[in-house]
Amino acid sequence: MIELFQAEIKRIWIEFIRYPVDTISGILANTFVFYGLFLSAKYIGGPNLQVGERLDAIVIGYVLWTLVVFTLEGIAFGLQVEAQTGTLEQVFLSPFGTLRVLMIRGIANLTLNVVLICGVLIFTMLLTKRYLHFPVSIILPLVTVLLGAYGLSLMMAALTLLYKRIQQLLGLVQFALFFLLTFPSEIWNRSLQNLRVILPMTVGSDVLRDLVARNQSLDLSSFLLALMNGMGYFIVGVLVFRWAERQAKRQAILNGY
Amino acid sequence: MKTLEVYNLQKKYQQGKKSIEALSGLSLTINAGEVLAFLGPNGAGKTTSIKMIAGLIRPDAGWVRIAGCNPHSNPQALRMLGAVLEGSRNLYWRLTPQENLEYFGVLRGIGRTVARKQALKLLDQFGLMHKRSTPVKALSRGMQQKLAIAVALVHKPSLLLLDEPTLGLDVEACQNVKALVRQVASEGCAILLTTHQLDVAEEISDRVAIIQKGKIIAEESTEEIIRRFSGSTYTIKFEGSLDPIQITKIEALGAIIEAEKIIYTGTKPGLYKVLGILEPLPLSHVKQDQSDLTQIFLKLVREYNHD
Repeated sequence: MIELFQAEIKRIWIEFIRYPVDTISGILANTFVFYGLFLSAKYIGGPNLQVGERLDAIVIGYVLWTLVVFTLEGIAFGLQVEAQTGTLEQVFLSPFGTLRVLMIRGIANLTLNVVLICGVLIFTMLLTKRYLHFPVSIILPLVTVLLGAYGLSLMMAALTLLYKRIQQLLGLVQFALFFLLTFPSEIWNRSLQNLRVILPMTVGSDVLRDLVARNQSLDLSSFLLALMNGMGYFIVGVLVFRWAERQAKRQAILNGY
Repeated sequence: MKTLEVYNLQKKYQQGKKSIEALSGLSLTINAGEVLAFLGPNGAGKTTSIKMIAGLIRPDAGWVRIAGCNPHSNPQALRMLGAVLEGSRNLYWRLTPQENLEYFGVLRGIGRTVARKQALKLLDQFGLMHKRSTPVKALSRGMQQKLAIAVALVHKPSLLLLDEPTLGLDVEACQNVKALVRQVASEGCAILLTTHQLDVAEEISDRVAIIQKGKIIAEESTEEIIRRFSGSTYTIKFEGSLDPIQITKIEALGAIIEAEKIIYTGTKPGLYKVLGILEPLPLSHVKQDQSDLTQIFLKLVREYNHD
């Protein structure tokens, strides 16, 4: 398992750097976005932002959204690309099982993206001389958010297996996630607030914001709620993916695109 | 020892309101070290069968065993299987041959160290060592195909599935692939290959199975099927000249005498009579006129279509 993780990290890294212009453009684009966020934090939040117009809250929301989107693209869009380039069936021939390979790929993708984003973030902090402080306890709600992200990604991957092209839907999901992860739920309207517990990753991102932006200590009940939410999405994602895999094999459409 | 056992595979697809029978009761076996050529016209069910054996398509009925393991329920069966699938690249084009081999080795369940050793061994064996650091997208089609086969072998499978391994290759690359297939089989790997190039099948297979409309209509050793369909005409070449008595006797058996060559159509005992009359002249060539696999294939498929 560890060796597969290392092999995935190596493969993803090689594919990432093989086109240097694209790689450098991506890093520069990320740097510019963070630089822009640091410079104009209070304007982005707008007058409705009830979190003390803290730069930390905006940055944490954006970082979270970026990581979730990377996870979503790494798993669901990655599957579509593999079907198009003709390597998907070879992945299905792995004795590790497709689900496990996809999960390990997701974690490898996440690891590289975390390192990259942290690098860009540190560089931006040095550049602007404005420093963010993240308590170690953010790891707990972060895990709940990532569990939800993996669950959602597996659901999207299941749709990709069955329907092949779902870019438009992925775009919509990313847009919805931007709202869920970057806007604090206290500014939502009442009907959405009622749905907060069952919406993906929302509780976890609120707990994260409480820790980072409001300097509050970890609220155990909120964390457990976030954990249940994340686990729920993850389990449903696994079940839906397994079902879609069986369907795709039954209908002989694994390799189609 | 049977490496692959396939029993009574059945598959129907629904196309709109129509139900299409892709496989109807396909059974076959392959022993270790044997090459089975799986032949059939387009749409006969070859690729469906191969993917079913690999666990990529689920059968409606029937079963597959690779060295006794079911690839549809036991992931360990996949450790014993390598496949090069037609219509797929099978490789990561941004990675080099060595990177592909090492990555797929780990993906197939062998450790990183073993994968690295195997990668170097296969690069050497497949004549790709000088290209080991070139991205796959920059390799020729022949090299990519050789690499795809090497990748399928990186974890030392006992069964190799090759779907159209020589498709689109030039003459030299095709020769290379054929030699590699024989070499791999000689090391004990069972090989199932599909091809439309029947000369390739004739040259490298030990057995052939011909599939038509999802059913196997002929399955026997390549040598035997060619012998069975070959005619009873023999060409005998000899050195020196015949005396008038020999000429009379040979012509009496119905043979035609040409310059240093006799053409005889008849039974084997008759052939030996001709050879006896020729004694003590040195013989340089005795050959039965043979059908080739293409003629046999077309004959069988046409016969089946008429039935």
